[in-house]
Amino acid sequence: MRDYIIRRVLGMIPLILIVMIVSFGIFSLVPNPFAALIENPRIKKADIQRLIKAWGFDLPWYLRFFKWFSGVIRGDWGPSLLYPGSTARDVIARRLPVTMRVMGLELLVSLVIALPIGIISAVKQYSMTDYVVTVFSFLGMSMPSFWLGLMMMMLFSVVLKRPSGVPLLPAGGIITPGLEQAPFWVKLGDRAQYLVMPVFVLSFLSIGYYARYMRSSMLEVVRQDYIRTARAKGVPERSVINKHALRNAMIPIVTLIALSVPGIVGGAAITETIFNIPGMGSLIIQAEIKADYPTAMIGLMLSSVLVIVFNLVADIVYAWVDPRIKYS
Amino acid sequence: MTEKAIEAKKKGQKKSSEDYTYIGMVFHRLTRHKLAMAGVFMLIFIVLFVFVGPLIWRLDPNAQIEGLEGLFNPASRAHPMGTDDYGRDVLARMFFGGRISLFIGFASAISSTLLGAIVGLVAGYYGGWADNILMRFTDAMLSIPTFPLLIALASVFGKGVWQIILVIVVFGWMVDARLVRGLVLSLKEQEYVEAARAIGASANRIMWRHLFPNTLAVLIVSTTIGIGGNIIYEASISFLGFGVQAPFASWGNMLQNAQQFIWNSPRLIIYPGLAIFMTVLGFNFFGDGLRDAIDPKLKL
Repeated sequence: MRDYIIRRVLGMIPLILIVMIVSFGIFSLVPNPFAALIENPRIKKADIQRLIKAWGFDLPWYLRFFKWFSGVIRGDWGPSLLYPGSTARDVIARRLPVTMRVMGLELLVSLVIALPIGIISAVKQYSMTDYVVTVFSFLGMSMPSFWLGLMMMMLFSVVLKRPSGVPLLPAGGIITPGLEQAPFWVKLGDRAQYLVMPVFVLSFLSIGYYARYMRSSMLEVVRQDYIRTARAKGVPERSVINKHALRNAMIPIVTLIALSVPGIVGGAAITETIFNIPGMGSLIIQAEIKADYPTAMIGLMLSSVLVIVFNLVADIVYAWVDPRIKYS
Repeated sequence: MTEKAIEAKKKGQKKSSEDYTYIGMVFHRLTRHKLAMAGVFMLIFIVLFVFVGPLIWRLDPNAQIEGLEGLFNPASRAHPMGTDDYGRDVLARMFFGGRISLFIGFASAISSTLLGAIVGLVAGYYGGWADNILMRFTDAMLSIPTFPLLIALASVFGKGVWQIILVIVVFGWMVDARLVRGLVLSLKEQEYVEAARAIGASANRIMWRHLFPNTLAVLIVSTTIGIGGNIIYEASISFLGFGVQAPFASWGNMLQNAQQFIWNSPRLIIYPGLAIFMTVLGFNFFGDGLRDAIDPKLKL
């Protein structure tokens, strides 16, 4: 097992390098943002040249990559072009907590809802409940996030109003302006209102995946002989499901959860855009179309590295909960 | 029909699964899958809407009605879905937008499946260093968050239908590659492949004539579901403003335009969104049913 982990960790290095080069290569296709400044007669040509040189836009992309990469090795991720005056790391650090709050809640809410309904749906296969769960799962999987978001906004921020005339839920943002200095509980309640719609939209889209996965994993298990044996021995159906079947059915789910964790830092670009949430997803997109490669690269690398690491975590956890699996 | 089947028919018995060819059996099982059938009907409806609709409703989707009275008309007999912010007929735009969305979905799903199949076949069949390099690359591509890079590429190349398809394909082949590689690894050990090699079939022939057809069933399922996913991708790219450009309509860019009029003309959002939703749902239902139908372990 130890050798296996060492081998896998070493294998991560080329993987991360490929990810870096591919992402950087794609970002470098975005046109040089300073070239457009030449049109502006009030900026000196020499200044523009200096800017281009400082940002490395005078170099071909692979040389710029080495320039950037040698900085990264020394822990310097470079300044942000999108937010002049901040380093790219600070920009990310400001956005990360917002995204983690939304995405973490989303993961929690979807799992809490999806796992039980997936189990029920498998235990009562082909029943009415099963069909309802299946259809709802598919509705969520097929819904374009922006459309659901806009429809929710229409309903809760335009049509439905409180008696005071204020919309039932705020249409976008993360906190009511002016409440930043309010006491903790007031702030918490206020922030919660802003979270309801985005978290609902994101959860609705992913509940289907988790529920379907849980259902098929459970179905796989209840078909097996040892379940029939347990039933034949006269074990009550409740404990057949809860004790015998569920434990084995949870094994693939543990992996699934491990693989979902990296999504927490990546953010959801579209939902963030619609609800005007200053998170990672929308930041990365703004950064890359403005050629702010230092910021966009941190965002992407954060997600990719977590995906790679959690892939290994998933495999290790898998072997840990299922003693039949041995890596050599 | 085999003799046995004819005999059975004479006796008034139902056909058993042995009497069918493979495709006949899959088709038969599919017709018994309720959700798959629901999906088929939804897709037939959408296809009729998009392709037969314009033959009946002959308005130019890009024609603008002159004057302010033409803008934001509510639904009427002249414009069953009203007009948009440029005074264009929304129904006509729905037809043409749908064609573009469906075309992008189909073309990108089929191309990315093919690309994935090529990578998977080569990696699985040759093994060794080719496998190692190709799969490392596939793993790397899988761990990059697709959507931001999709947007970056679309913002550079975007704007046209073919470019959008290309961008979706670049990030869409990895899962199929893994799928095909896994299948090929077990298929290539089978005797019929050895026999083919023994009579001197070339590697290319073995890959495409012997191995590829055996992965088709799985690939068709993944393509079907992929079409739905890619339609959402196209819509998302267009929604952020990097997709198919005006004046051409796609369901995605109709939504993008409509976003600013959410307070006054919500119907401009409801129609294209509903169309995307129904189409994707149809493909998902159908694809899932297809997966069940080709799975010999499942009773249908």
